[in-house]
Amino acid sequence: MPAPNRWVVTGKFTDDGSNAWRRADGTWSRRLVEAGLYTEEALANAQVAETIANEQRQISDAYVIKVYAFGATIDPLTARERIRANGPTIRVRRPDPERGSKTDGD
Amino acid sequence: MLIIRNRAIVEDDFVHVPDGAELPAAGKPIVTLARYAGAREELLGRYPALGVRMASDQLPGDIPDLDRLVLIAIEFPRFTDGRGYSTARQLRDRHRFTGELRAVGWVLRDQLYYMERCGFDAFELKPGKPLENALEAFREFSVTYQAAADDKRPLYRRR
Amino acid sequence: MYQYDDNDRRIITERARQFRGQIARRLSGEISEEEFKPLRLQNGLYMQLHAYMLRVAIPYGLLSSTQVRKLAHIARTYDRGYAHLTTRQNVQYNWPKLADVPTILDELATVEMHAVQTSGNCVRNITADHFAGIAPDELEDPRPYCEILRQWSTFHPEFAYLPRKFKIAVTGAPGEDRAAVRFHDIGLRIVENERGERGFEVLVGGGLGRTPEIGRVCRAFLPKRHFLSYIESILRVYNLFGRRDNKFKARIKILVTALGIDEFRRRVDEDWETTRTPELELPNEEIARVAAFFEPPPYEPLQTSDRQLAGFELGRDRDFGNWVKNNVMRHKVPGYSAVIISVKAPGTPPGDVSDTQLDSIADVADRYSFGRIVVTHTQNFVLSDVKTSELQRLHAELVALDLGKPNANKLTDVITCPGLDYCDLANARSIPVSLEIAERFDRIDYLNDVGDVSIKISGCINACGHHHVGNIGILGIDKRGEEWYQLMLGGSPGNDASIGEILGAALAQDEIVDAIERVLGRYLQIRESEDERFIDTVRRVGLEPFKQAVYGSVAKAAAVGG
Repeated sequence: MPAPNRWVVTGKFTDDGSNAWRRADGTWSRRLVEAGLYTEEALANAQVAETIANEQRQISDAYVIKVYAFGATIDPLTARERIRANGPTIRVRRPDPERGSKTDGD
Repeated sequence: MLIIRNRAIVEDDFVHVPDGAELPAAGKPIVTLARYAGAREELLGRYPALGVRMASDQLPGDIPDLDRLVLIAIEFPRFTDGRGYSTARQLRDRHRFTGELRAVGWVLRDQLYYMERCGFDAFELKPGKPLENALEAFREFSVTYQAAADDKRPLYRRR
Repeated sequence: MYQYDDNDRRIITERARQFRGQIARRLSGEISEEEFKPLRLQNGLYMQLHAYMLRVAIPYGLLSSTQVRKLAHIARTYDRGYAHLTTRQNVQYNWPKLADVPTILDELATVEMHAVQTSGNCVRNITADHFAGIAPDELEDPRPYCEILRQWSTFHPEFAYLPRKFKIAVTGAPGEDRAAVRFHDIGLRIVENERGERGFEVLVGGGLGRTPEIGRVCRAFLPKRHFLSYIESILRVYNLFGRRDNKFKARIKILVTALGIDEFRRRVDEDWETTRTPELELPNEEIARVAAFFEPPPYEPLQTSDRQLAGFELGRDRDFGNWVKNNVMRHKVPGYSAVIISVKAPGTPPGDVSDTQLDSIADVADRYSFGRIVVTHTQNFVLSDVKTSELQRLHAELVALDLGKPNANKLTDVITCPGLDYCDLANARSIPVSLEIAERFDRIDYLNDVGDVSIKISGCINACGHHHVGNIGILGIDKRGEEWYQLMLGGSPGNDASIGEILGAALAQDEIVDAIERVLGRYLQIRESEDERFIDTVRRVGLEPFKQAVYGSVAKAAAVGG
């Protein structure tokens, strides 16, 4: 497994609280795999400061995370960031109970 | 500088004098509690209208000759530091302070309603925050449940 | 239950309008997230791991069927079709959009509900015994006092920026505390003094989290008329002197420990002597006015239930018999019973209820229990007033709704926080552990054999799953970015209050449920009789036998890593 070698700027979309990753072109994506990669942490930190200062309407709580970037994949380092990227690991809504059909063709 | 006093925007007639700075020849200075405690008689003798500024961890009991002050300013170093609300209530209710009670520091429009209920009647908003729509904050609630400095009767005594 | 009057309605409507304005100013950029955060928290809106989360207040857990239908409607219309019952008798939605929140609050206001002060450094939901009003061992119904406290604390201008959150619980049953008052910032017990007067024992400084503490007696007997003024003085002392330098040392329990209870009490008394006014006294008329909202419903005069219930428990329908044995509670009125509706089922996160289930629950409440239902802090529902003669029909309906598990207070009645699947604060996931427990032990004979035992799971030290007071407590921790679990035994939240002790080194996610099974196996081996409950065995023998069962040896148990 390659060493963590890149940084990524992430945050929350203000409108619905979903997770946001900053693309290289300055737009924001809902998918980690589209994140722009920083080769230096200081640059990523500088971008976070700028986002906090100027992008409050769209983005809340920006911060930097370190990732493994390998080929086209980006892997987070912690359980927390994996779950942020992939969503809850459990079924979100319990299904309605099966209607016990005593007769065919409900 | 513009401040809010008695629900109106007015020009401030007081001036904050930090520790170490020279006191004005005349006018209405607000000095820190430390400075006041150290030179009380002199200050009261020199200025007919004197204000004292309290840090958030200071208490009304620390202020000598409270009733000779026309203004007390209470600092809010962060708007989340809520000690000033209790300090204000103690000043109004327990110590019966009748002078101007001013909230200074990180004061946002969203705290004005509660602050007024606790006994503040003047406010210096955090620099950069608009004053005009701040006045709307005082009218956001027409009914209150509990007693406070503004009305000693809980709602159940007013129903 | 309490009915809003014009004042109540206006307060809630104006608050919703105020928050609508604050949200608009957030979305326009006039205020930053840092300035918006305390405002949205005081309106119950969290920012969680995947979305906002709205926590709706359910004062002392009590709901009408109308309110339940509204909760279902909101789940369906603005969220993902379900709601979550919390460990403080509230309800949470996990996926609201910021712009929808004002509309959700307006909808809640139409049924006298709100999300005020369910978060933030203010006084939170006042919780109570979920059998309030009907328990045979109750001295006096605590709910009127909860309602009085709710009104007093709502938008209290002095206590909106406390050092930290503040939680109050009230119990009216001296013999068994079902409200865990000893683990609240203020716990109130209704008591009677030597002269036969009713008043409150006031406990202060209880809590869980990083430094769990059992509450201490601040005042042994507080007359009812001083109820509000004295509590206000406690809050004032906390507001002025509580620590604000360190978020993890900011609760009132830290202040009480630092000052000592005697000095703390002295400061409260000093403030109280100088601030209590005649206006602040609580007159009997007000107590009576509020108590009138909690008058008993129109019970029919019926025969006592005991023989019927015994018959049900031993009858041929084993599912029904087990359900009566485990989920049906004695009621002070002859012919009636209280029913625990377990929402816990294999495959479902504990406390989650779908919108369709909520609609059905509203119907069931209407037809069986005077249109009322209670959310418990164990993340279940209680129907308080069911005719014993109708229990069998009710059971059948609940089973069809997937709400009929006969596991109340048993092993699979797990209490858990949302954990790292949902919560921004968490270190580890809690729900998958609870799902594995529910599946592994889904055998009623085993559940009955093990008997009463509480498993409580928290995904982080904030302890929203109350793991410190679980007979079996599980705490999720972060070790180098990965999820590990500490196992503790011996906690209890009631009159016999105790804080669980850690068994040994932290366990991996694929080890923790095995460990629980071994703990239970050892319990079954060494208990003195079938009547000795799990918690009693733990207290009798200590942790050694269980350490050995889990870790094989005491040395392994002490291995570094936890």
